[in-house]
Amino acid sequence: MLKEFREYYKNNKFQFILTDLEGSVIDSDQNLFRTEKGTALGEIHPFFFSISDIMGPNREKTVFHCVQLGNSTEELTVDIEIIKQNGQFLIAIENLTEHYISYQSIAQARNESIIDSELILLKNHDLEERERFKNEFIQNFSHELRNPLTNIIALTNILQRSQLDEEQSNILTVLKDSTSNLKLMLEDILSLAMISKGKLALNPTVFNFKQLIEFLKLTYNTRAKERGLIFTITADESIPEYIEGDRLRLLQILTNLCDNAIKYTPNGKIILYAIQNQRRANKVNLRFGVKDTGIGIPEEKLETVLESFEQLGNTEGVGLGLSIVKGLLSLMDSRIQIESTSGKGSHFFFDVNLQFPLHDPNNETPDKKSKNEVVQKQKKYRVLLVEDNEGVQTSLLKTLIDAGDFFIDLVSDGALVMQEIVNKSYDIILMDVNLPNITGDQLAKVIRGFPFKNIKSIPIIGITANSYKAQIKAYKKAGMNVVLSKPFDDKELLSNIYKLLK
Amino acid sequence: MQISKKVVVLGHFGVGKTSLIRRFVEDSFSDNYKVSIGVHITKKTIEFSIDESVTLILWDLEGTDDISQIRESYLLGSHGIIFVFDVSRPTTFQNLGKDLISLKEKTNEVPVKIVGNKSDLVDAKELDQVLSEKNISYDYITSAKTGHKVNHLFEELAKMLAINA
Repeated sequence: MLKEFREYYKNNKFQFILTDLEGSVIDSDQNLFRTEKGTALGEIHPFFFSISDIMGPNREKTVFHCVQLGNSTEELTVDIEIIKQNGQFLIAIENLTEHYISYQSIAQARNESIIDSELILLKNHDLEERERFKNEFIQNFSHELRNPLTNIIALTNILQRSQLDEEQSNILTVLKDSTSNLKLMLEDILSLAMISKGKLALNPTVFNFKQLIEFLKLTYNTRAKERGLIFTITADESIPEYIEGDRLRLLQILTNLCDNAIKYTPNGKIILYAIQNQRRANKVNLRFGVKDTGIGIPEEKLETVLESFEQLGNTEGVGLGLSIVKGLLSLMDSRIQIESTSGKGSHFFFDVNLQFPLHDPNNETPDKKSKNEVVQKQKKYRVLLVEDNEGVQTSLLKTLIDAGDFFIDLVSDGALVMQEIVNKSYDIILMDVNLPNITGDQLAKVIRGFPFKNIKSIPIIGITANSYKAQIKAYKKAGMNVVLSKPFDDKELLSNIYKLLK
Repeated sequence: MQISKKVVVLGHFGVGKTSLIRRFVEDSFSDNYKVSIGVHITKKTIEFSIDESVTLILWDLEGTDDISQIRESYLLGSHGIIFVFDVSRPTTFQNLGKDLISLKEKTNEVPVKIVGNKSDLVDAKELDQVLSEKNISYDYITSAKTGHKVNHLFEELAKMLAINA
């Protein structure tokens, strides 16, 4: 029984072939291949073509694993052992097809999964590159727009103070509105680019919550009325009067939501509400929401409505508002939620964790403090204006001259600044950061390191097209007292000058 | 003169070694990826003239991401080597220099042709830029799918081997 089994097993699994050193068959079994005596083994399968090259003059034994000797009709995967002995090759072929088939399926799954993950990584890398390029382009482009926009805003303000007839005044109003819209759009685009690049950080301060709500009420009551809409705003009485959080960004979120509601509500009403969800120690969780009776969002658009440049129909704006809201809320560890029915209206809401001061900040809060600021104008001040851009030069000069409180010297090259401040006495320096020969921040560093107190302590206001917080921090660290990002208006500039001159 | 030469085709898995050989031998192509295991051997004779031909015995080796792990027995007696990488997958050529050194240690003076396959999947200009950035020098850029430069590769190798014979 065992002998029969051994014979059966051997016959189906092995073939032994004896050849001369040229590969011509001397003797063979016929278990796996038919091999006639005297035939060249290379004719049975190309594997054996190079048998003498494989063995060479010195090799006596070689084993080949997993050789596929199959043809188009039959799969045959074998191990082959070749032994050179007494001027002949003894070739032992073991059929391991079943064993290797199972290995093949494992290798197939493994390789496919590795290749798939490589392709996903490549695709992600490609998408990240595109996103990075897009953000850099937007950022650079926006910065390039800042200089001309600053000039337009400044010159429009100057023009508004001149003698104009009614028609000119109307044209100027349209011009001013368009400039304001352009400025807002530019700020939106920059905010989005900064959020995408992870360069936007929150700046929490204590602010008066009721004043924020009042501001929104005033702004949107007027805007809603202009469009024949009803705008109501409600805020829980229990919400602390003073809240600690990033007022600017919270305002940006709420104005974006309200702007959106106004944009997509042809008639009916808009409700902005603030509810206190929870309050514990100095922490408070608030829910803000905006409901409208507008056109609503179709179900298929609900997932994409938060993406950049996504709009519902042909409407004004560039479709960045909700994308900014999403990004800013993510910075606040929150997220926007949307309930909407097409044709009936939408409800956008979010919960956010904020803090509040346990002791009433009273008159020390920044809001109240700034209210009480009184500009003291006692004499004419000497200003050194360092700016190389002619357009910006003109608008700044005009603003300063019109204010009537300044004697102004103008320098367009950073290298001439030291000479000026050593020979003359200045009350304040107004300086562009991006100057030829030496940059504004380098100059500030030199001035602050000067040995004479009257020079090293001159207040410096930096002007830059850069709005990155880290960069502005670096300029301040270099010695600038205040850094203004373009575009800014003349009020902002003058208020900072007077503050430093006080 | 009729001679036969053993040519080993190797490289990382999924780079299209089997497809290159199939395109050359059978002039066919399939998009279905079937992993090769061990070694599969085919042959094709290239006739240069009535009495001059070279039969290429093509050893299609199982792909591996570690060239140093290739079984040495497969390389015994080879006359030429084709190292194939996939131009659309940087992992298959980012260690090319190291792979070639490890191959050289096993095969000594056997000539090696370096082939970037799947050119149909990438933009030619971008590919040039990527390969030059990574300092990759190659002998052929091919596409088994379209047949681009495939015959050229094998025929030139065959000519070179015939001259060396």
